[in-house]
Amino acid sequence: MSEDKFKTRLKIAKNKAKIHKDQETAQSGSNMGTAFKMSTELVSAVAVGTIIGFILDNWFGTKPWLILIFFFVGVAAGIMNVVKTAKKMQK
Amino acid sequence: MAANPMYQFNVYRIGPEIKLGDVDISFTNASLFMVISTLAILLVFNLGAKKKSLIPDKIQLLAELSYSFVSKMISDTAGTKAKPYFSFIFSLFMFVLFCNMFGMIPYSFTVTSHIIVTFVLAAFIFIGVTIIGFIKHGLGYLKLFVPSGVPMVLLPLIVVIEIISYLSRPISLSVRLFANMMAGHTMMKVFGGFVVSLGVVGGWLPLSFSVALTGLEILVAFLQAYVFAILTCIYLNDALNLHH
Repeated sequence: MSEDKFKTRLKIAKNKAKIHKDQETAQSGSNMGTAFKMSTELVSAVAVGTIIGFILDNWFGTKPWLILIFFFVGVAAGIMNVVKTAKKMQK
Repeated sequence: MAANPMYQFNVYRIGPEIKLGDVDISFTNASLFMVISTLAILLVFNLGAKKKSLIPDKIQLLAELSYSFVSKMISDTAGTKAKPYFSFIFSLFMFVLFCNMFGMIPYSFTVTSHIIVTFVLAAFIFIGVTIIGFIKHGLGYLKLFVPSGVPMVLLPLIVVIEIISYLSRPISLSVRLFANMMAGHTMMKVFGGFVVSLGVVGGWLPLSFSVALTGLEILVAFLQAYVFAILTCIYLNDALNLHH
C-alpha cells in the first residue's frame, strides 16, 4: 500500500523536476566570474598572438614581419574577448 | 633564509631521487602538498557521505553544501546538458580550493602558485572541452570560429582573430590563478619581513596589514577556485550549446 503511495509521489516529484529542467537555460555565469575573465583575457590573447607570430617567423624565415602582424591581430583578439564578455554581462 | 619573499616558492626534493629516463620524477614538496590536499578531500567527503542522517552534523553539512553549490553553479552557467560533467568540475573545484587553502597554513607550500601546475590543469580542460565540442557537433564545431553576419572581405581576418582568442583560453585560465596566488603570498611575506625589520617600535602597522592580507588571501583562495571552476563551465557551455 505504502509502496504505491511512494510511487505516485516519486512520479509527481519527477514531473516537477522535469518542468524545472525545461525552464533552466544556459545563462552567462555570475558577474564575478565574467569580471575576472576580462582582465586576463585581454593580455593572454596578445601573448598568444605574439607567440604564434614568433613560431611562424621561425618556420618561414620572415623574421620581423609576421610577429608584428600577429601582435596586432592578438591585440584585436584581446579587445574582442573583452567586448564579447561585456556584451554577455549586459544581457 | 626566510628574508627572501620568493623563497617560499622553492621546490625541493623529499626523499630519494627517482629518474625516468632523463626526466626527474622525484617526490617534491609540491607533490607532497598535492597528495595532502587530495587525501584531505577524500577524507572530508568520505566522512561526509558516510552517515546520511536527516539532520546533518557539521562534516555532512560541509559535503552537502559544497555538492549543491557546485551543482547550482553548473546548471546556472552551462545548463542541464553539462550535468554529466559534474564529477569532473566538482573534483577540479575541490582540488584547486584545497590546494589554495592548504597554502594559507604557515610554512606550507602553495601548489597553485606555480604556473606549470595551473597550466597543466588548464591545458587538460582546454583539450577536453575541444574534444567534447568535436564529438557533440562534429566539424560543425568549427562554426565557433566563424561568427554570423560578417562580410566576406573581413572573414579571413576575423577567423584568425577568433582562433587566437580561442587559443588564449588556457593561458588566461592558468595565468589568472597562478598570478593571484603568487602575488598574494609574496605580499604577505614582504609585509612579514617589514614587521621583523621594523621591530617592536614600528612593526605594528605592517603587522595589522598582514592580518588584513591574510583575510583577503583566504577570500582570494576561495574566489580563484570558484572562478577557475566557473570558467570551465563557461567553456563547456560553449562546447555543448553552440550558438554563434
